[in-house]
Amino acid sequence: MADVVSVNDRFDIDPGQPLPDYDSPTAKAYACRDATSKSDFLALVCEPKYPLRVEAINALKGFPNHSLMRVQDHGVVNWTLTGRRMPVLVVDRPRGGRVFKSEDDTIEPFTDEQLTRGFLTPLVATLREMSQRGVTHRNIRPDNLFYSDPNRRSVMLGECISCPAGLFQPDKYESLENAMADRTARGDGSVLDDLFSVGATVLSLVTGRMLPEDPDPQRAIFDRINLGSYACLVGGTRLQMNMVELLRGLLTDEPRERWTIRDIELWLGGRRLTPKQVKLPQKAARPLMVGGGSYENVRAVAHAIGRNWNTAAELVRGQDFDNWLRRSLGNENVVEAVNKVTGGANGIQSAPKEEDARLITRVAIGLDPAAPMRHKGFSTHIDGVGPTLALNFNDDATRQKVAAFIGSRSVGPWMSVQTRSKQDLLGLFSKFDKLPTLLNSTGPGYGIERVLYELNEDIHCMSSMIEHLYVTDPEEVIPALEAVAQQSRRPPIPMDRHLAAFLGARSPDIDDRLLRPLGNASDNRPAIDALNVLRLLARIQTLSRNGPMPGLSHWFVELMKPAVNAFHNLKARAAVENSVMKASDSGQLGEILKIFDDQRAQQRDQQGYQRAQQEFTQCAVQIAQMNLDLQNKDSLAAEVGEQAAAVVSGVVGSVGTTAIVILYLV
Amino acid sequence: MAASSANAASMKVIVFTIVGGLMLFTLPTVLLLGIGMMPTFAAMAIDRRREKYTTLCVGCMNFVGVLPFVAQLWTEGHSYERAFAIMADPFAWLTMLGAAGLGWCIYLIAPGIVSMGIAMRIEQRISRLRRRQRELVEEWGPGVAGALDDPEKREAKAAEDAKQGG
Repeated sequence: MADVVSVNDRFDIDPGQPLPDYDSPTAKAYACRDATSKSDFLALVCEPKYPLRVEAINALKGFPNHSLMRVQDHGVVNWTLTGRRMPVLVVDRPRGGRVFKSEDDTIEPFTDEQLTRGFLTPLVATLREMSQRGVTHRNIRPDNLFYSDPNRRSVMLGECISCPAGLFQPDKYESLENAMADRTARGDGSVLDDLFSVGATVLSLVTGRMLPEDPDPQRAIFDRINLGSYACLVGGTRLQMNMVELLRGLLTDEPRERWTIRDIELWLGGRRLTPKQVKLPQKAARPLMVGGGSYENVRAVAHAIGRNWNTAAELVRGQDFDNWLRRSLGNENVVEAVNKVTGGANGIQSAPKEEDARLITRVAIGLDPAAPMRHKGFSTHIDGVGPTLALNFNDDATRQKVAAFIGSRSVGPWMSVQTRSKQDLLGLFSKFDKLPTLLNSTGPGYGIERVLYELNEDIHCMSSMIEHLYVTDPEEVIPALEAVAQQSRRPPIPMDRHLAAFLGARSPDIDDRLLRPLGNASDNRPAIDALNVLRLLARIQTLSRNGPMPGLSHWFVELMKPAVNAFHNLKARAAVENSVMKASDSGQLGEILKIFDDQRAQQRDQQGYQRAQQEFTQCAVQIAQMNLDLQNKDSLAAEVGEQAAAVVSGVVGSVGTTAIVILYLV
Repeated sequence: MAASSANAASMKVIVFTIVGGLMLFTLPTVLLLGIGMMPTFAAMAIDRRREKYTTLCVGCMNFVGVLPFVAQLWTEGHSYERAFAIMADPFAWLTMLGAAGLGWCIYLIAPGIVSMGIAMRIEQRISRLRRRQRELVEEWGPGVAGALDDPEKREAKAAEDAKQGG
């Protein structure tokens, strides 16, 4: 048995006991035991590149229902198999294995009894509890279902927290609005999206096979738009009448008409109604040609111009589109929405040519407000932008399309045509509103990295220095850098764009005053870069109070050497060196900062140095002058010497005369 | 203006009259002084400077050499015989010319002595200034001299010095 790995000193994971039957697409399952109760659980060791749904994890704590693979605990562990720190989720261990072992697996079709008692009844309770907690599952599909008991009587939902919502959902198990979005950008959605997934899953359970993938996903989307998801998913499958009612209710594309949890409960209670005909989208009087295709309804046109964004501007600006919208479509609500987001026909015509992509985005929003926003081929729900960036941050194309989307400022117009509660969206709007400013700032702490951490509040810091340490909290940054400082090969400076952006986004105490100087190239004082980083990290260390960091301190002592050498006064320099060594021994970055942050001492040194230089120069000038005097001393002496001789003779003469007068005449 | 120059001219006439009168009554003294002060007249003749330092030097000492004999003339009967007797005395000549020579000596030696004094004073001041420069370098480093203002150069220089020292 390999050494067990402990999660929060409670759960022991055995890396020697992998449980591949329970693997998630983004996590490997291992046997795990509660050290106190000795109960068996599953430990899902997650791929760090996939952001966890931490908000959902927290919301699902203490979940009472047993028809969900509940999360018991989560944490970060040192995982020897990968040689790095990995996020771990401890979840319930199903007793009866997976319902569908793979996408290609077929099973004995569920009977009505199995479906109602074994699947829908516990599922409804689970979804109701999740709805009350404000969480969506968004991972409901046949191959994420488990038998909760060894007799395989009851089915439970698999986990839904190890990756962004809907990331691994096949299009057919997603509502039309989510299927139209990029897979990484589907967002958390609502319980109605979960209910659509339940409908598609029920269809799989009653047929005993998973719904096949479409060879042309975009064609399938247009088919679902034109014919309705129910018709496309069910196709020619023969169903019992009671199942038709349930599936028509769950697979309807109009969210307001889709069955709610209450409707399923009534159905389970025996209510039977005549199955409603699926409501198809309103057809226009004539089709509209977009990108070589002919589209008859507004959602199809919106999707088509979103996909043909680079050529659709000409169409949108033309009279034909205006006529189609105002006369052929015959839907005043759509006209009003388009006018609202574009400023009407005048707004469309006056939009500059270089803003065609933005114009197309707005027109598509106006035509189909419930659909994902589409900008330059990026199709996203508002809460799908962050996961998209997190999952593909190292991909240039993804960074560019996300940056272009944020730059287009499409969220405001999108919000103005939403029927959802404004309160729900206000937080997201204020976040998106400040992103263009952050994105356009180029210095460390800003740019696309800052956008990444602003939109993903729970992802770990992706700085290449500390990525392997899976740092999710600013308080963990200093110990992580201490570990980096202890390495034999360390980076030039303990800061990079990711780390600065992470701290800027996560710590309310790190503001522009600390971040802006990091990118200030005009300041050419010695070791100024290191000083700015020191100031930032000292602040973090003070706030996090996680003890002395001698390795990091010594690292800064080396980085700050040019600043020490910048002291001209040798005594002052020696004193500073001495102080720095003492401060570094304390392991407190703030102590080192105090020494170098004393601008007045540096000014005094500089002024003293300038005075000393002037004095040295004056001395040199005087010496040169005196050397000249020395060379010319004879000419000087001739003048003065003659004077002196005259004086001496005069004095001697006077004294002699006086003496003679006294001797001879007195 | 015209009145003051007239006064000066009249003053000169009065002085010359008095001096001329006195010289008429003291001709042996005038003779002795005239001959004894010959070196002074010679110095005056060759002294081109306006300040007449040479004349002053030689004259003062020459007068001290002549004055004892003038005093002797006055005390031993102010007569031509006595004046000639003094002038015939080689000791008198030695004294008068020797005193003038001493004047020349002072005149010639003084610039040398003054030159030495000036040199000593300048060297003392240079030494004091160099000491101050050393103190500045000790306090502020070689960069204070201006040539090695850059800390990197200073470090390189210090390293080079240490290497040479090693």
